[in-house]
Amino acid sequence: MFYKLINTIDHIRPFSTAKAHCDVPCGIYDPITAQINALTVVRMMDLMSGLSEGDAKSKTEYHNSMSRYIAVKEDHAEKAKHEIRVIWGDFIKDAHVEKYPELPGLVHKIMQIGSKCRQTTGRDNGLAFVEAINQFAEIFWAIKEMKIKKAKAPYAPGLEMVYPDL
Amino acid sequence: MLKIIKVTGNSLSPFFLSGDFVLVSTSHRQFKNLKEDDLVVFFHPEYGRLIKLITKNYPDSENLKVTGSHEESISSHKLGFIPYSDLIGKVIFHIKQPRSM
Repeated sequence: MFYKLINTIDHIRPFSTAKAHCDVPCGIYDPITAQINALTVVRMMDLMSGLSEGDAKSKTEYHNSMSRYIAVKEDHAEKAKHEIRVIWGDFIKDAHVEKYPELPGLVHKIMQIGSKCRQTTGRDNGLAFVEAINQFAEIFWAIKEMKIKKAKAPYAPGLEMVYPDL
Repeated sequence: MLKIIKVTGNSLSPFFLSGDFVLVSTSHRQFKNLKEDDLVVFFHPEYGRLIKLITKNYPDSENLKVTGSHEESISSHKLGFIPYSDLIGKVIFHIKQPRSM
């Protein structure tokens, strides 16, 4: 009876909630998605560079391939930024920023370099993008109290990446 | 001061089910007297507002250790120490939803 009354009030004007979940929210956060997207950006830059140097392809094929590389570069730079924003907004808390005061500046830097990667074709921007996101991954895994290892990605462009040492 | 808070999730099942309500006393004066098996609501920097059982109170350092009662609950090790400053209050009454037999 009393429960019904409280439950009815809750439907009209919801009370605050306290979670007794096993892990909330889902707790699945991993910067690897952003890292792979950033690697893809460098890969597209390399393909674009290779394409512009050759002249074996017909004009139509050239434009077709170039447009696709540009579209993928554009898309993956934005996806990498999105993934970082999700971790920044949903996972990182004030206590983490206090412990790693460089985090806000680093996230802002990733946003800016990501935009630069969309605006330009310079490989240096792509490398800086990967490096900044690797730095973010290092801090992320430190927050999770997990050791990391650095290894070259097993696919082109084969840049050094930060991975959790499982 | 008293607050009504709705429980979500099953970390405290079978005693508390998702959808139950609790009446919480938010008086800070009681925190030093909290004891093992008292239920508290607190804010956790990674998991948000949680309700858990106390496993140990450390009044000198003003910290608590907490746990759930369900095997899938977040371990107290994973939650870490809960400082009094993150406590919202102590559960003083449980408003149960009808249990199916």
